[in-house]
Amino acid sequence: MNENNPVPPMIPPADRPTPPPVPPLATPPLAGNRPLGDDPAERVAIPHAFAAIEALLRHPRRLMFQLRQPGSGKLIGGMLFVALACAAVYGVVAGTFSGHEQLWAAPVKIAAGLFISATICLPSLYIFTCLSGSQARLAEVCGLLAGLLMLMTILLVGFAPVAWIFSQSTSSIAWMGFLHLVFWFVAMLFGVRFMQNGFAHTNAKSHAGLNVWVIIFLLVAVQMTTALRPILGRSDTFFPTEKQFFLAHWADCLKQQDGENNARGRN
Amino acid sequence: MSAQTHRFSLSEISVLLRGETQAIAEWSARWDARRFTLHIGVIILGAGLYGAAMGWWRAPQQGLYVAIKFPLIILLTTFGNALINGMLAPLLGLNIPFRQSFSVIVMSHAITAAILGAFSPLIIFLIWNAPPLTTGAAGAPAYSLIILAHVAVIALAGVTGNLRLLQLLQTIGGSRAVARRVMLAWLWGNLFLGSQLSWIMRPFIGSPDLPVQLFREHAMRGSFYEAVFHALQRIFLFH
Amino acid sequence: MIAVVVGAGSYGAVMGSWRDPWQAVYTGIKLPLVMLLTTAGNGLLNGMLAPLLGLNLTFRQSFTMVLISFAVTSIVLGALSPVAWFIVYNTPPLAAGTTIKSPEYAVLQLTLAVFVALAGVIGNVRLLPLLRQWSGSARAGLHVLLAWLAVNLFMGSQISWVLRPFIWEANKPVAFIGSDCFQGSFFETVFNAVCRITFG
Repeated sequence: MNENNPVPPMIPPADRPTPPPVPPLATPPLAGNRPLGDDPAERVAIPHAFAAIEALLRHPRRLMFQLRQPGSGKLIGGMLFVALACAAVYGVVAGTFSGHEQLWAAPVKIAAGLFISATICLPSLYIFTCLSGSQARLAEVCGLLAGLLMLMTILLVGFAPVAWIFSQSTSSIAWMGFLHLVFWFVAMLFGVRFMQNGFAHTNAKSHAGLNVWVIIFLLVAVQMTTALRPILGRSDTFFPTEKQFFLAHWADCLKQQDGENNARGRN
Repeated sequence: MSAQTHRFSLSEISVLLRGETQAIAEWSARWDARRFTLHIGVIILGAGLYGAAMGWWRAPQQGLYVAIKFPLIILLTTFGNALINGMLAPLLGLNIPFRQSFSVIVMSHAITAAILGAFSPLIIFLIWNAPPLTTGAAGAPAYSLIILAHVAVIALAGVTGNLRLLQLLQTIGGSRAVARRVMLAWLWGNLFLGSQLSWIMRPFIGSPDLPVQLFREHAMRGSFYEAVFHALQRIFLFH
Repeated sequence: MIAVVVGAGSYGAVMGSWRDPWQAVYTGIKLPLVMLLTTAGNGLLNGMLAPLLGLNLTFRQSFTMVLISFAVTSIVLGALSPVAWFIVYNTPPLAAGTTIKSPEYAVLQLTLAVFVALAGVIGNVRLLPLLRQWSGSARAGLHVLLAWLAVNLFMGSQISWVLRPFIWEANKPVAFIGSDCFQGSFFETVFNAVCRITFG
């Protein structure tokens, strides 16, 4: 897309020449009040999933505009497919921590967990958007949620090399769990920002409802990692045999880690 | 009335949720059986789903019972108070026909039920993650968490429904003070009857020590207010 | 890439030369390797972060920009190599009874680390005006730089941990990579050290 821009000089001289023109972002990170579709580039249809990734990263307004058009179902389907594939890729990387059956179990659990969380939270998202005065149709809400999932998961794929090198280095489940949560949280921040920008163009009067929904989604997704445990580490059963809330599970993990550290210290 | 507002579709629910008072006021002024059926359907479905989620923790059968009872309470309260609510509105300064007051209340309950229904997957997920409801569970953190979640969701749905009702009454009557008076009067009346109906139709969450039942054996004995009075007596007079 | 290989390679060779000529060769290879692996490993992530933070670069452009910053760092390191060599030359050799707690070893470690930090700061300071000009916004340029810096430091620290030792590993023969290279992580070690200091 920007291939015509040569690489800038290594160290700019004192009388620095004007750098080559870089096409401005279609939208600044926080959407302004400019109506969607006023730029002809935003009206160009998104033909496939890869174009959707490109649009999500560089021209989110184009994606937002296309999501409001009739027949956006195919685009939403493509976005969900990308999110599913990226979640699975990140899952494989997470699974390399324990290896063995976790190489297939972790991607299945991460991808399924993310989608179940989104499905559970979709009705409340729609209600909150309506309550905030947004004119978004259900299809558009689904599209923005799909955008959140796609942006989250492609960023997670970006984090995958970092996650992999730590997976190979450490044997601490608590540390790896913390690291995955940090990556997931960073990815979610970007995803939520996209979603908020999207809703800003639907006449929403306030972001308060959406912010409450973000907290609900966060809690559901974190609880999902406990409900589908183990995602890191190994177990005899695919699903846990005991029901727990995530805070209790994390406390157990930290206690177990502490015990292992003490035993290692004694040896 | 414009052709657009007269057109009937499922997306009317989102108009209700958004609180587009002008359009809703026009709907309430003209009786439409299909629209009324839709609102009743939303109450049955939304409150039913939430009731199913609520009772499911005790047993699936309890879920089924509460799925029937929860919308029933809302509908019985609406129909039971319809007459008095219809009288109170003109007495308190809002001169609307009986049918319109009834229609407005049904709409506000439909909003509440739609919110409850939307939260039912979250409640099901919460209950799925909770340990089973066994003897002694009442003291466990999971029990407190579930109760708090129910209180928060029902409060959110109830407050939103009434806020939308207040906005609507203001649009219809043109006076904020009158709208507030009417809304509060209706609210007190509905709370009064609704509490007693809930008392009769208990249990909702259910107790692990008691069998799964549609109604308690002595459902019609005593009242919600007597129970509250006795509880206060026990606290303050140490009986 | 040549700047990275030559600049960081010469500095790495000086670092390792205190221990052993073979260590000099190994560290001369490993130091540029850390930079290149960090750039490659974070290439995708850096390429995504730039447009998300307001700088519309392609993956190839963001990759090149990060490489430029490492190249500047390496050139500065290469320029500091003679000074570093002089310090290494004046530090008593390892054979003369230097232990991990010896003050001369501490001075050597500290000086070499300060040089690396200085070079890193210069590399990033040089990158910032470029990012600002390209994005047309001082805020966006700073955001992109900070994001790249955070992820590169995070990844780079762990790659350095895996490829240790760079100067010397007590009681162990000279080796390209330590036998326990994939045991633990840089941040766990720092965290445990902080816990030991704080809680005893």
